[in-house]
Amino acid sequence: MKRRFLLGTLALVAGLASGAADAQTTLRVFSGGANQRPDLMRKLFDQYQAANPGVKIDIETGGATSELQRQYLSTVLNAKDAAIDIYMIDIVNPAQYFGAGWLEPLNAYVGEPASAMKPYLPAYAQANVINGKIAAMPAFADAMFMYYRRDLLEKHGVAEPKTWDELSAAAQKIQKAEGDPNLQGLSIQGAPIEGAVCTFLLPYWSQGKDFNDANGRMTLDKGAAVKGLNQWLGMVDAGVIKKNVAEVKTPDTVNEFKAGQVVFAINWGFAWDRFKDDKDSKVAGKVGVMPLPAMAGGKSATCVGGWQWAVSAFSRHKPEAAKLVQFMASANAGKFLAAEGSLLPTIPSVYAEPEVVKAVPWFKDAAAVVLAGRSRPLSERYGEVSDTIRTTTSAVLARTKKPEEGVAEIESRLARVMR
Amino acid sequence: MATPSLIERARDPSERTLAILLLAPAFALLALIVVYPIGKLIWNSFFDLRLSGGSGAFKFVGLLNYEDVLKDKDFWNATKNTVLITLITVPGALVVGLGLALLANLPFRRRWPVRLALLLPWALPLSFAGLIFAWFFHTEYGVVNDVVRRLGGLGFEPQTMWLLKPNYAFAAICLTIIWKTSSFMALILLAGLQMIPRSLYEAAEVDGASRWQQFWQITIPMLMPSIVVALIFRTITALQTFDIPYTMTKGGPGNATETLAMLIHKTTIDYLDVGYGSTLAVCMFLLSLCVTAVYLRRIGKE
Amino acid sequence: MMNTVALPTPRSLIASPLEGPGLRFIAASMVVVNGFFPAVWILLTSLKTETELVSKPITWFPHAPTLGNYVQAFTDQPLLRYLGNSLVVALLATVFSLLVSACAAYAIARLNLKHRQLILTAIVASSMFPLVTLLVPIFETMRSLGLLNSYTALVLPYIVLNLPVCTLVLVSFFQSIPRDLENAAMIDGCTRIGALWRVVVPLAAPGVFTAGILAFVNAWDEFLLALSLNSSASMRTLPVGITLYQGEFTFPWPIISAALIVAIVPIAVLIAIFQERVVGGLTQGGLKG
Repeated sequence: MKRRFLLGTLALVAGLASGAADAQTTLRVFSGGANQRPDLMRKLFDQYQAANPGVKIDIETGGATSELQRQYLSTVLNAKDAAIDIYMIDIVNPAQYFGAGWLEPLNAYVGEPASAMKPYLPAYAQANVINGKIAAMPAFADAMFMYYRRDLLEKHGVAEPKTWDELSAAAQKIQKAEGDPNLQGLSIQGAPIEGAVCTFLLPYWSQGKDFNDANGRMTLDKGAAVKGLNQWLGMVDAGVIKKNVAEVKTPDTVNEFKAGQVVFAINWGFAWDRFKDDKDSKVAGKVGVMPLPAMAGGKSATCVGGWQWAVSAFSRHKPEAAKLVQFMASANAGKFLAAEGSLLPTIPSVYAEPEVVKAVPWFKDAAAVVLAGRSRPLSERYGEVSDTIRTTTSAVLARTKKPEEGVAEIESRLARVMR
Repeated sequence: MATPSLIERARDPSERTLAILLLAPAFALLALIVVYPIGKLIWNSFFDLRLSGGSGAFKFVGLLNYEDVLKDKDFWNATKNTVLITLITVPGALVVGLGLALLANLPFRRRWPVRLALLLPWALPLSFAGLIFAWFFHTEYGVVNDVVRRLGGLGFEPQTMWLLKPNYAFAAICLTIIWKTSSFMALILLAGLQMIPRSLYEAAEVDGASRWQQFWQITIPMLMPSIVVALIFRTITALQTFDIPYTMTKGGPGNATETLAMLIHKTTIDYLDVGYGSTLAVCMFLLSLCVTAVYLRRIGKE
Repeated sequence: MMNTVALPTPRSLIASPLEGPGLRFIAASMVVVNGFFPAVWILLTSLKTETELVSKPITWFPHAPTLGNYVQAFTDQPLLRYLGNSLVVALLATVFSLLVSACAAYAIARLNLKHRQLILTAIVASSMFPLVTLLVPIFETMRSLGLLNSYTALVLPYIVLNLPVCTLVLVSFFQSIPRDLENAAMIDGCTRIGALWRVVVPLAAPGVFTAGILAFVNAWDEFLLALSLNSSASMRTLPVGITLYQGEFTFPWPIISAALIVAIVPIAVLIAIFQERVVGGLTQGGLKG
């Protein structure tokens, strides 16, 4: 009698224990630094945990910048570590990481690209699908915007420039009228950072040119590339862009614009809130945003950025992870991130949602810019592509290489890589 | 009672056991931590392990990677930069370090400011030392240009773009490296200075030798062992220079200041080409070995 | 028979080319400025705001000094925790590096080893490979030993990283101590190991403290291994923690400066306390016949 009771209790306890163990999955998410808003992601994870009681989500911050993240990830993923289930990666990374075998294809969990990626902006659908396999799902979008000092343009009766020449003329007019030697006409990033790839591509794209075709093969128009670089150099010579532009990184542009030293500035979406809300901002309320100018006869184009959620190929909880990723990439999550964190949505319909429009009115202008956004080359060997373009562009802007030399070098190095 | 002769002691088995015991912890740790990684590294260098664009199957390519290295103009550029940095910063740090050590040893009334100043460059984490000096050399926000301006220009153009001109950038990097590493040298040399017996100087004084003569004929020779040790490690570290150029110029402008360690880092972390990166690492090892072989033999001989 | 050996003195009268108190003072001032300037600059920066940093011409002293950066430095991240981790790891690494190196150095310096050259080269050679290429296998080893995110995970590699420098420094110092002193001790009944710890090490004290400081600072500064092996927030060390104040697009120098000051101060204090030992040496006489 006593033995049966004991056995029964044991069985009950064992059943409960294993049942509890089965039901509780811990997912570990590798999120980036402050700019990827782990605080907001935490709130979304809490929502998900509430709706899915068997899942617990831990955030791990392992690198404040893409560089540091890549440093960490390359060690951990090369060692095929199973400790982390989900990564947040930059838009330029899916092709490379998928090619390295680090990301789990999500087709089995979210469906085929034609249906699963349909709600998203084309640039994101494209960047996250490699050879028909979904490598990652979009988290939030970003693009390079042209910020400008609305008050200065109004004061001097200058209209929003539509071409680069108009912008140069407008900037010079304002600089001369203001008489401030520290006032920059246009601030762009020329340091050898990832953003310099955009600095190269913007004037090139705005002539209506493509850097690569749909298969990833390079289709560089050398003349157009040289013309694009010369445009920047011309603005340096005219005093519109400062001569040490090759030292300028993203935070520098933001800090200088905030201090009132810049008329036009090209920067990512996060800058808007900094100009508006920072306590030491001297330009709050004076900032406008507009689409990037085009070359005469060309088309306005901008660089897209943004981050994506990917499931690790070495994760031990792939189905659960994929489900979480789907949640984080959903329209509801996008709405939350837009309203709470001013993070640009990747789903066009979210821009029109009333709560988003109310919380972030400037997204009205932003939507058009993001829609016109283009991806940097999607290559499995993006590391080499990025390094070549950004290093060469920076050298040309530092005037240690002539534009023709720089473009020739880009062509010769990348001809092998982007085939 | 005669003391046991050296030869007898060497044959003493307890001495051999002692040697093994004393060396065991060091070699056990080496075996645990670095033997497998170094072995794997050398093994990898014979494969095409390009992780991106990989079909998953890793190809054995034998010495092909090494051939590619010899033909790679980035490799030769990086090696040239690395060797140049070594040739400038090793003697530079030695001279500055020696000066610092001598100064720190002089009788001042309050010694601690000089000694703290000597060692403070050490306290700054290496990665941030580079960022701080990059800021000092910034065209607009840097202290260097500000000081130059206040001193009336000093023959430089106003707002010199230090880090954007290859030669200036190179000089700035070498200066920063010397600043950071002269502490290391000074530390080792200072300890060496402590070991020189006072009686030697006293005897020289009696013989009428001047201070200069004493310096060259007593100090320097007696300091030689410390100098050699300091030089070995300064050289090995110089050949591996990474943090300071990486944070100051990222190898720019172009790749005028790219070192071998930066190339390896780029190849392994950014390009995910582990095979080629391993090959470059082995080449760096061979370079270090050749350069320091001369020093090492000297120490072993004593 | 009296063993009159020239004993190394704590503060040798070093003949130097620097003559005259005036020149000495100028030179000393240069040294002090050289060493302190960056640290002082960081201190001043930690009291400024970011916008002030882009004012032209640049300001040296903050217009409106603020301690807000320090507050943020401590609240944005568990800075004190990082400091604690770094201290523990660095201290452990130093102590064990010294122990292991001293033993190895003694064997190389004093015992008649057949392959002394090779052993020395092997130890030094381990530092000739760039760490970035050894990261993945080291990570794998630590993972299979279950040591990830622990103090041990860092202390063990740090000992190995310090081994070459410390061993070589100690070898050269041990070699400069006359053998007769140990012989005298052993005649008096000491074992070899006893002679090591009771005679050689005290006499080589400046070298030991030097090796100690080198080991400490190497461990304190180290970044790559700390980033890869101890990634969880509770075990993170200072160099890695400080990089986390950045963002993809932001680099808040004022806050980072505040964190750097927090990182520098303990070391500076340690150095100030021990500088007498390191620089002054400790020898209080050797053996008298």
